[in-house]
Amino acid sequence: MMFPELLAAPVTETTLTELLRRVIDPELGINIVDLGLLRNVAITPDGTVQIIMTLTTPACPLGPYLIEEIRELLTQVSTINDVEVEVVWSPAWDPEQDMSANAKRILGWTH
Amino acid sequence: MSRTLRVRFCIGVLGVLALLAGLWAGLILLKLDVPNVRPHFEDIHGPLMVFGFLGTLISLERAVALGNRVGYLAPASAGLGGIALVVGLPLIVGQILLAGAGIGLLGLYLAAARRQGSLHLTVMGTGAIAWVVAVVAWMVGRDIALLVPFLAAFLILTIAGERLELARVIKVAKSARTFFMVSVGIFLSGVALSLVNVSLGVRTAGFGLICLSMWLANNDVARRTIRQSGLTRFMAICLLTGYAWLGIGGVLWLLFGNLTDGSAFDAMLHALFLGFVMGMVFAHAPVIVPAVFHAPVPYQTRFYWHFYLLHASLLVRLVGGDLFGDRFCWQIGGILNEVAVLTFIASTAAAVIGARRKSASTDEKLLVASLGSG
Repeated sequence: MMFPELLAAPVTETTLTELLRRVIDPELGINIVDLGLLRNVAITPDGTVQIIMTLTTPACPLGPYLIEEIRELLTQVSTINDVEVEVVWSPAWDPEQDMSANAKRILGWTH
Repeated sequence: MSRTLRVRFCIGVLGVLALLAGLWAGLILLKLDVPNVRPHFEDIHGPLMVFGFLGTLISLERAVALGNRVGYLAPASAGLGGIALVVGLPLIVGQILLAGAGIGLLGLYLAAARRQGSLHLTVMGTGAIAWVVAVVAWMVGRDIALLVPFLAAFLILTIAGERLELARVIKVAKSARTFFMVSVGIFLSGVALSLVNVSLGVRTAGFGLICLSMWLANNDVARRTIRQSGLTRFMAICLLTGYAWLGIGGVLWLLFGNLTDGSAFDAMLHALFLGFVMGMVFAHAPVIVPAVFHAPVPYQTRFYWHFYLLHASLLVRLVGGDLFGDRFCWQIGGILNEVAVLTFIASTAAAVIGARRKSASTDEKLLVASLGSG
């Protein structure tokens, strides 16, 4: 789905995940979904999106930037009333397990 | 603007003021006919650039990442320490504030490690220890020039730790991690050794820098991301160019092995602090400024201006000035180094202002559209 269609589509976990592909780590040029930073995405009946995510490291200066990007993106959807983002550190982000095949291909993993 | 953002902004301003004063001191060191603020003002050029500017911004970045209010004491102390040096308070005041900031930064790394310990945090924390050792040794009377290996260690270990962390995304082999640790070990041994034997210490540290630059050039994610476009590619180009300067700096440290004034010292210092460290700053500013100040810095191709200017002017300074002894090349290269840094500041500020105007105009259009439809 294109971006305007996603914004207008009924909010489900699938459409939210698709939308979140627009939040990109600028240094890697890869979105947070493919990087495997999202742990859980849910929407409550009152229109609050609850996101549980992790970062590559607790000293990651990009953390606040990515959270801000997520909020800005999702608040464009008229049916979303609020966005809650919780950062968790356990289990730790593991590139081997968490990154998608697409991200690994872009970053040159051979297997 | 929220209170937290105001605090961050004020701390950032302190850092930029230290940078501007440091650049002025740099002009005096270039033996240009500029008014001196007070006798020996140029002596604080290094501490202002490394601790007052970079130290403030690095610890601010960490405090923001951790999101703990107490954490802001570290960058605030670094910023105020820089200002204390600039305004000419007794030297000990600035030194105490800077030492406190270094300890604060170490505390921030410890807090991060409590959340999730890792090798890269240990490397960055060791950089903070180098900061503290440098300031304490300066406080007890060691010449700041003799402490350059420690100043460099603070910045190099901070950057190396960050790159090690990011290298995980390209699946670095175990042997490569071992090579990284050995490189850092050699470099650190040299830094420590420089306290008792300058020549041997600096040469050993130089060898460590060469190893580290080889590791970065081979294992950094920039080798992959350079194939992308826009900001990602710009960052990769800045990083890889910086690694070349790190290697050049290492060769110069290994060859000359001294910390006394002169063209060799000038080249040893600026290959590292300008070519490598400032290159890293140029790369990361479009990402860090939005993260810390909530001010978007949309990528623009004109970012390459300050990139080209910095590296070209550094070549003029090091080759024409330091290698061939041409005073004009040394001075014009040095002046253009500073112009490159100022262009970077101006270009970043212009990008922020441009983005704000665009955002305001979009909001206005939306308002008009909604009024129209209502």
